Amino acid sequence: MSPSAEVALSARDVSKAVSGPDGRLQILDGVSLVVPAGESLAIVGASGSGKTTLLGLLAGLDNPDSGEIVLAGQALNRLDEEARAALRRRRVGFVFQSFHLLPALTAEENVMLPLELEDGGDAQTAAREALAAVGLAQRLHHYPSQLSGGEQQRVAIARAFVHGPGLLFADEPTGNLDARTGHTVSDLLFELNQARGTTLILVTHDMNLARRCRHVVRLDGGRRVEDAA
Amino acid sequence: MNIVRFAARSLRREFRHGELRTLAAALVLAVAALTAVATLGQRVERAILASAAELIGGDLGVAGRRAFAPEFAAQAQRLGLRHSISAEFPSVVFAAGKSQLAQVNAADANYPLRGELRVREADGSERTVAAPAAGTVYADGLLLVSLGLKPGDTLELAGRPLRVAGEILRQPDGGQLFALAPRLIVALADAQDSGLLGLGSRARHKLMLAGDPSALARFQDWARPQLKDGAQLVTVAEAQQNLRSAFERGESFLRLAALLSALLAGIAVALAAQRYARRKTDEVALLRALGLGKQRVLASLSLTVLLLGLPACLLGAGLGLALQQGVLTYAGNLLPAAAPPPSLQPALAAIAVGLAVLVGFALPPLARLRDVPPMRVFQRAIALRPRRFDLLYLLPPLVAFGLIASQSSSSAIASALAGSLLGVTAATVVIGLVLIALLRRVGRRLPGALRFGLANLARRRSLSLIQATALALSFTALLLLAVVGPGLLAAWRADLPPQTPNQFLLNLQPEQRAGVEQRLLDLGARNLNVQPLAVAKLVAINGAAPRVEDYADRRAAGWINGETRLSWSDTLPASNTVQAGSWFDGKASEPQVSIERVWVDMLHLKLGDTLSFTIGERAITARVSSIREADWTSFRVNFFVLLDPASAAGLPHSLIASYWLPAERSADLRAVSREFPNLSMIDINAVLDRVRDIIDRVSSAVMAVLGFSLIAGLLVLVAALNVSAEERRFETAMLRTLGARRGQLLATVLGEFALLGLIAGLIAAIGAAAAGLSLGHAVFRINWTPPLLPFAAGVLAAVALVTVAGWLGTRGIARTSPLLVLRKE
Ligand SMILES: Nc1ncnc2c1ncn2[C@@H]1O[C@H](COP(=O)(O)OP(=O)(O)OP(=O)(O)O)[C@@H](O)[C@H]1O
Ligand SMILES: [Mg+2]
Repeated sequence: MSPSAEVALSARDVSKAVSGPDGRLQILDGVSLVVPAGESLAIVGASGSGKTTLLGLLAGLDNPDSGEIVLAGQALNRLDEEARAALRRRRVGFVFQSFHLLPALTAEENVMLPLELEDGGDAQTAAREALAAVGLAQRLHHYPSQLSGGEQQRVAIARAFVHGPGLLFADEPTGNLDARTGHTVSDLLFELNQARGTTLILVTHDMNLARRCRHVVRLDGGRRVEDAA
Repeated sequence: MNIVRFAARSLRREFRHGELRTLAAALVLAVAALTAVATLGQRVERAILASAAELIGGDLGVAGRRAFAPEFAAQAQRLGLRHSISAEFPSVVFAAGKSQLAQVNAADANYPLRGELRVREADGSERTVAAPAAGTVYADGLLLVSLGLKPGDTLELAGRPLRVAGEILRQPDGGQLFALAPRLIVALADAQDSGLLGLGSRARHKLMLAGDPSALARFQDWARPQLKDGAQLVTVAEAQQNLRSAFERGESFLRLAALLSALLAGIAVALAAQRYARRKTDEVALLRALGLGKQRVLASLSLTVLLLGLPACLLGAGLGLALQQGVLTYAGNLLPAAAPPPSLQPALAAIAVGLAVLVGFALPPLARLRDVPPMRVFQRAIALRPRRFDLLYLLPPLVAFGLIASQSSSSAIASALAGSLLGVTAATVVIGLVLIALLRRVGRRLPGALRFGLANLARRRSLSLIQATALALSFTALLLLAVVGPGLLAAWRADLPPQTPNQFLLNLQPEQRAGVEQRLLDLGARNLNVQPLAVAKLVAINGAAPRVEDYADRRAAGWINGETRLSWSDTLPASNTVQAGSWFDGKASEPQVSIERVWVDMLHLKLGDTLSFTIGERAITARVSSIREADWTSFRVNFFVLLDPASAAGLPHSLIASYWLPAERSADLRAVSREFPNLSMIDINAVLDRVRDIIDRVSSAVMAVLGFSLIAGLLVLVAALNVSAEERRFETAMLRTLGARRGQLLATVLGEFALLGLIAGLIAAIGAAAAGLSLGHAVFRINWTPPLLPFAAGVLAAVALVTVAGWLGTRGIARTSPLLVLRKE
């Protein structure tokens, strides 16, 4: 982690608690991390350790109770929800464990979505190129229900980078896929990371996938613990 | 992002989904019904108003209970105005063993001054004519049919044979719409000679004028101070006012039906929007994560719905315009003149109402989506956090009450309707909550599949409540339209006790009484009741001359300027009850008077007030000694004012009789009429038939609008059942995966829906019955008891409808492979 490199994402002392049926529950407790631009980070840990919560906070989907997160040079806690939305629109892409494609839209329309949100250029051409890049040029007009899980995840990846985001957040992107398909999908993610310089933040249970990342953050009960690797 | 384009695209993609189509269909129906009713109303009203001069048969006139002195005609002549003298009265016409009540118009040769009298003569030729020559008449088709006559035949009026010179095809002063009996036009001389226009007759005498407006104005100035004994000016403006109020009564039922369909549409829209919003939750979470701002989420959702709603409203308006054109084509001959072309204003108003319904009912569920946290893309459970109260939830009831208040013609209708709908909503929520709590306790002891079905209702608490409320409201509306409305009308026109008087006799002179009574009894008359009738003028209340401007009730002017028919009796008339004070005991030292409730309210009277009347040459001042309430639906002769018999002794009067005669004997009245030609006989059977005929014609026009309301009600049903379809899909698939048999699935679904239908149906029945009772009491002024059978049938139909619809809706799911359903999730 060279200090001179541009920092894509940093978190300092991030904490988050929720009040549940059995009182207050500390989900995250003083987590800090730094990810230089163009590099990759894996967040690992046992189920319930707070990985998804951290990812959501890092991507600006929610506010931490305390601590500071700086995304693409912007301190998230100084932005209101609208400004954070604008930041996500322009700088961030998402890949989810259960794909989250809109069932009413075709593959192509799903991929066009981020561009339509931003009103940028020729959405259709860009979407077709993105789908071609993930090897789905032949499936433009298929609906999610007509695609396999691996294909759906590839559409989701095309959607995540179609607008050229600086950062890509992925929550267990291979969690719902078999080993081989999972491999194809993670190859795709790292290709993007490499070829486009996209900073990759992913949550995973898959140690093989975690090992391919430059950095690994391990959580245990909401705290960051030092990782052996 | 171009939000309009985005909304348009998502609309195009999502129209495949049922809820948007439901929403659009509901709007189309509501706007169509409102457009049709309002446009039709406006065109009919305009047609009637435009022909007002033709309807009164002149540009100006004077009318009264007495024939006008010759100076009136002389003055018209001096001013260069054309004039025509006529008199109108109801009378029974006889021919070849048949009889029929007719509205007789006796007119001089100048008739008609305005408009056209067109007849078909015996040789089949059509001609525009003036009033018939002496000894001949023109009769309208209905009269000829009911008497079995054709032009050229002879009929008998007041003992005189008259030849039918032609069948009336088109006539001024009143189309068929407002006449209670078929019309007969006779020569004025014939009516005068037969004694039909004598003192105490029911005739209304008219002198009509036509000509130069300034001359008309001068005549009006001259005539005004000359009018006495209740004679009045007949002006075009006043005729328009009367027509308008007559028309408004007929229009209110139509408006009610259209209003209900708009409300039902509102419920369907709310349900569809609610389901749409639920389905969109995940999508909104995703869009928010991808960076779409809160306001734009709301904007794009609202735009999608608006882009759908606007064309739907336009389509509805088009449909409504077509519908009203159809009705006019079908029933246009009821109108006195051709209807003017439709104006777009009612259609635009209907579109505005449609958009208000859309915004009012669809916005609240959509607006909640603003608050979907983007974090939900990772954790679906997040959205289930407790909801805070949103001011927007007040929007649907506000819009609903706004609609009720602005669209219903009377506040009594509006409050009965709003009250029952509010009550049904509250009752459903309360009863639903109680039942759900009960189900949670006892549900465990029920057999397997049924338990699961009922547990479903309890588990989806808010969905079940929404469903039950929507169903209950739509069943209430349907019951109101299908059972209560027709029931009220039927109760109003039928259900009279046996031997209720069906014949009236007017203008009976005291010296003829014994002879006529005997003749009637010989014919088989029952319940013969003869009462004196004197024509009086109210000159003072508590010693001061009453002034029209002191009374808010417009009817007061008629009694103050016009004449009052009063009677006397030493016993309290049947179907009257004393509400305050006491009936005459014959011991009072000063004249006493008993006043009916309507007069008390209208003229602000109380016990102990004094009323002064002039009756012919006599003047009487009497003290109010009792206040009565008369049953005006009893078909007996009722009087607002009854004098004590001692004070009435020697007053100039005629007699009025009511009696029951078997319908088949009414032709025998001809002999009585021949013997006593001055009698005016009124056959109420014929009046009732005529009323029924008009009601039937109007209701066939209403049927189309009713149809819209019914479809709107069914739409609500579909929308309500769709609310839980998504959940049900998943559950059914799960149960199938776990190996449930089809029979068990069926039992689950049927149990759940049958209970839902039963709750909704029962509450709706109670709500509709309550609305009916209050409408009957406040609007129709009748005692109507909710009929048990139709209501029970309504509840059963509700159960059956919901169960079958639920089963049909779920059947598809049960058949699909569970794998497919799971894969979609
Ligand atoms: N909104 C919330 N309300 C209550 N508890 C929450 C909420 N969000 C998260 N939690 C709890 O916080 C803990 C961490 O959740 P999180 O989803 O971040 O875990 P995770 O590490 O992603 O687990 P997994 O590997 O199973 O996905 C869990 O115990 C979860 O139940
Ligand atoms: Mg997780």
